[in-house]
Formats: sequence, structure tokens, C-alpha cells
Amino acid sequence: MTQLNNGITLFFSLLVEAMPFLLLGVIFSSALLLFVDEQKLLGMIPKNVVLAALAGSLIGFMFPVCECGNVPVARRLLTKGAPTAVAIGFLLAAPTVNPIVFWATWIAFREQPEIVFLRVGFTLIIATTIAIIFSTQADLRPFLQESLTRVMGDSAAATEPGEPLVSPLLSSGTFLMQSQGQVLQLSAPAATVMAQVATAPPSLSIRLRMMMDNMVLELRELGAVLVIGSAIAAFVQVAIPREVILGLGQGPVTSILAMMALAWVVSICSTVDSFFALSFASTFTSGALLAFLVFGPMIDLKNISLLLTVFKGRAILYLFVLAAQLTFLLTLVMNLYAG
Amino acid sequence: MTSLPRTNGSRRPRRSLPWQALIDATMLLLWGLMFLRFTITGKLYLLLHPDYMWLAHLATVLLLTMGIVRGAQVWLSYRQGRGPAPRSQEHIALLPRQLSVGLLIAIAVFGLIYTPRPFASETAFQRGITDVLGQTRSRPQRFSLSGNSEDRTIVDWVRTLNVYPEPDAYAGQKAQVSGFVTHIPGWPDNYFMISRFVLTCCAADAYPVGLPVELPAGTPRPAPDTWLEIGATVQTATLDGKRQITLGSATLTEIPEPRTPYEY
Repeated sequence: MTQLNNGITLFFSLLVEAMPFLLLGVIFSSALLLFVDEQKLLGMIPKNVVLAALAGSLIGFMFPVCECGNVPVARRLLTKGAPTAVAIGFLLAAPTVNPIVFWATWIAFREQPEIVFLRVGFTLIIATTIAIIFSTQADLRPFLQESLTRVMGDSAAATEPGEPLVSPLLSSGTFLMQSQGQVLQLSAPAATVMAQVATAPPSLSIRLRMMMDNMVLELRELGAVLVIGSAIAAFVQVAIPREVILGLGQGPVTSILAMMALAWVVSICSTVDSFFALSFASTFTSGALLAFLVFGPMIDLKNISLLLTVFKGRAILYLFVLAAQLTFLLTLVMNLYAG
Repeated sequence: MTSLPRTNGSRRPRRSLPWQALIDATMLLLWGLMFLRFTITGKLYLLLHPDYMWLAHLATVLLLTMGIVRGAQVWLSYRQGRGPAPRSQEHIALLPRQLSVGLLIAIAVFGLIYTPRPFASETAFQRGITDVLGQTRSRPQRFSLSGNSEDRTIVDWVRTLNVYPEPDAYAGQKAQVSGFVTHIPGWPDNYFMISRFVLTCCAADAYPVGLPVELPAGTPRPAPDTWLEIGATVQTATLDGKRQITLGSATLTEIPEPRTPYEY
């Protein structure tokens, strides 16, 4: 009975601590999705692959979304002609490298600031590395779902963003003559075409209603996942004997593997996962906590269904294996040499 | 979507109520009310570090506002016969809608009924109660101690001991602490631990600390979880094969469970 009461108290404690951050995340992401122009943003991305990968990883600071919100954004970036390095970097890093997640991690781990900074650092290293690896594949299309490649148009027409504007008529393709000497390139990515022919943006009141709709939608879904995640965390704390957890949590290798597996299964939103990890802070090695905080937001069980809307299975497998190996390696080094 | 037949002769043709949006508004309001209840009943102190309570208050305001705005939107669009706003973006559902809404509403209703209870001695024992702070524990660089040893709380004592562990250095000092009783297996019958839980963020990271108390001769050992105010003199004793400080010549006064049972 005591155990049950403790479990429920723990459960509500996690919910009460995490909900404000979930709310802020949802509000910011809804506002920014509607008010930030990704096309302009892409124009500012450097052309160098390494810099582009890093820039993609850092865009998260402008879209404070967690892993549930970032897949749709990455998808839209791809349809708008973002280079591979940018899209992959964004996909992997944005859930962690953003102000709200940073703040939440800081509150949870203010006694161990190294966790907060290493979380961001490791994520940037891993995301940039994988983004560079993926960008050696010049054309990402074979990795993407067909529904997405159709929207992207054919590769010849996909222009690099940030390219100096030459008359579009100098390049090959199908064009429609528009008013005022403008031309519309029909073979360009569909999203670009849509952007050019789109009517005036919706009025502010409509946009605010759309924002409200989006907020409620995200809160409903992420809130439900938060509830399930908190319940699992509370259950593990009170139901599994402490000796078992300690035995698993103190080994430099087993602790990391256990936390990565947990991160993959629990699929808790990155805005609030630091509080989940906090409940293991006294029993697990710091490297294991970091593995949880770095790997979880990149790829987890829930996220795979989302990733499948963008990538084919093979590409997700590559992403998963690369992210898992790099996380394991970095956190193991930390456990062995810094712990 | 269920359609609601209008029985009275209204001006407009019959129109279906936006049930989904109404349920969303209800869900938001219930969550706001649950937060509000924790605040009003003071149970928020059992769940959170006081430094972060403003975040919970912010969440209360946001949830209630969103619930009210959502409800107002539903009402307005129903009155004016407008459809929902155009969808802003494609969205991929993780859980079936009914499941997530059902879960959230159920938890909010449960939170409105259930009263959280502070952790007690059984948990303290299970989590490894000690007078030593572990590797990951808060060790403030500076914590103010007044010159008066009687003003130290249990966690003040433990932090002081952590900085300077020699038990004999404290012998003879007066101590005045309050906490709950934990019985430690293996200790003699005339010893118990006076303990408290310490929070750094929320109940998820609560950890127990405590000081051994020697019962004056003839005093029955108080039951576990009894809250006591203890006035005592510090002495040293060997317990569990380790020489440590204990509170001797203790006067025990039973007190009600405090509103804020944790230390920070």
C-alpha cells in the first residue's frame, strides 16, 4: 500500500513538474510553425556541408519543438529543397538543442551542470556527424518515402537554396508565364510551386485559431505520452527492487545500455525527459543518464512511426544504428574517464 | 461526430455540436482544476521544490485559459455556424485520439480525487537512508549556518558532517531537530533514526537523510513514521560498525506532520 501511494505521489510529481514545460513547448512550436518562414531560413544556410550540418543542428533554437513536432518540420524542410545535411542535422538535434529543453534540463540537473552542457554537446556532435555521413549520398531520394519524393519534384529542378538568383529561364524545365515578367517553374519542388502561387496568407484571427488548434492537438498527444512515461518511471522506481536497479545502474556498460533501451521504449518527449531521468539520478551512472537524454530524443519507439512518414525503413535503420553507436561511444568514454 | 437534433424550432437548421472540441476544452479545464486543487490544498509541497512552484502556477493559468478560450471558440463557431479553422499542417497521430483524450481526462479526474501523501519511513529505508551524501547529491558550495547548533535542521547537520566528518568534533553540542521516526534493522532497540526527505527538484529525486537518536532509558521506542521534535545533546556511538554522531539525552515531543514535510 505504501508502495502504491509512493508510486502515485511520484507519478503526480513528475506530471506537475513536466506539464509547464510541455505547455511552453507546445505554445512556442505552434506559434513558430505559423509565423516563421522556412523558405527565408533556408536561404541563410551556408553551402559548406559541415557548416550546413551544424546549422541544421542549431535551427532547433528557432523551432523549440520536441521529437514529435520536428518530423513534420524536417519533412517540410525537405520538400522546400533543404540540403540533406540540414534536414538530417535538424531532425536529430532539434529536439534537444532548443531553449526550452535546455532550461528544463537545467532545472532538473542544476546540481550536475556537466549533464546539461554535455547533453547539448554530444547531441551536436552526433547530429552533425550523421548529417555529414548522409550528405555523402548526393541524392537522398532513394532513402525517402515515395509520397515525399513526388512532392519534391525531380532532382534537376531542385535548386540549392541560397544560390544567387539567375533568370530561371536560363535553366531547363517547364515554365508558366506569370504577370509582371514572373515565371513559374512547374518542375520545381511542388512545395516551392505552391508557395509561389499561394494566395495571401490567412488573416491573423484565422492564424490564431490555427495556432490554438495546433496547440490543443499537440498537447493532447504529447500529454498522453507524458502520462504513460511518468507512469512507467514511477512503476520502475517503486516496483523493481533497488538492488536490481543498482546492480544494473552502476556498471559503466550495462547502465548505458539499460538507459538507452529504456529511452527507446519509453519515448518520452524531450521537453520533459530530464525529469524522468532525474528519478534515476541516484542509481545510474552519469554516462547512462546522458545516454538516455541524448539518444531518446533522436530515435525512439514512438518516433519511428513518425520517421516512416519521411524515410524508408533502411534509412531509419542506418540512422538508428549510427545514433546508437555514437551515443554509446561518447557516454562510455565519459563513464570511463570522467566519472 | 454525433449530431444533436434540435427539438425547439430554432432559426438555423439543425447542426452538429463540435463534440471533439468540447471534450478538448473539458480536458484542459480538468487539468487546470487538478493543478489548482494541489495548490489550494498545499499538496503541491509534497510534489515540488518550492522554487519551481511558480512554474506549476503558470501551468494552472495556461491550462485554464486554454480551456476557456477553447470553449469560447466552440461556442462562437457553433453560434455563427462556422466550420473549424483550416488545418495548419499535416499531423501524424501517435495514439488514437480517443485513447489520448480518455487517458488525460481519467488522470485529471483521479488527480482531483486522490490526495498525495509524503514519503515515509519504509521508503526512506528502501532508498538507503544515511548521514552521508552520495555522489549525486546537492552539496551547496556555501550554506549558511548560524553559530547556534540548535538552529540546524537534519539536512544542515548532514551537510555539515559531510564537510567535516569527525564525530568527536560535535560532541556536547545541543541539537534541536524535527523529523519522522525510522527503525533501522540491526540497530539496538534503544536507537532509531530521526529522518527527513530532501528535494532538489521534485518528489522524483527525493532522498532520505537522518541522524541516529539514542532513547533515554525507560522510554518506549516510538512507532515508525511518528513525527517528533527532538531536543538532544550530540554524542558519538558505534552503530553498524561505524563510529558516528548520535543524539543523546533526548527529549521527544510528538508533533503533527508539517505542511512542508521535506527539507531542501
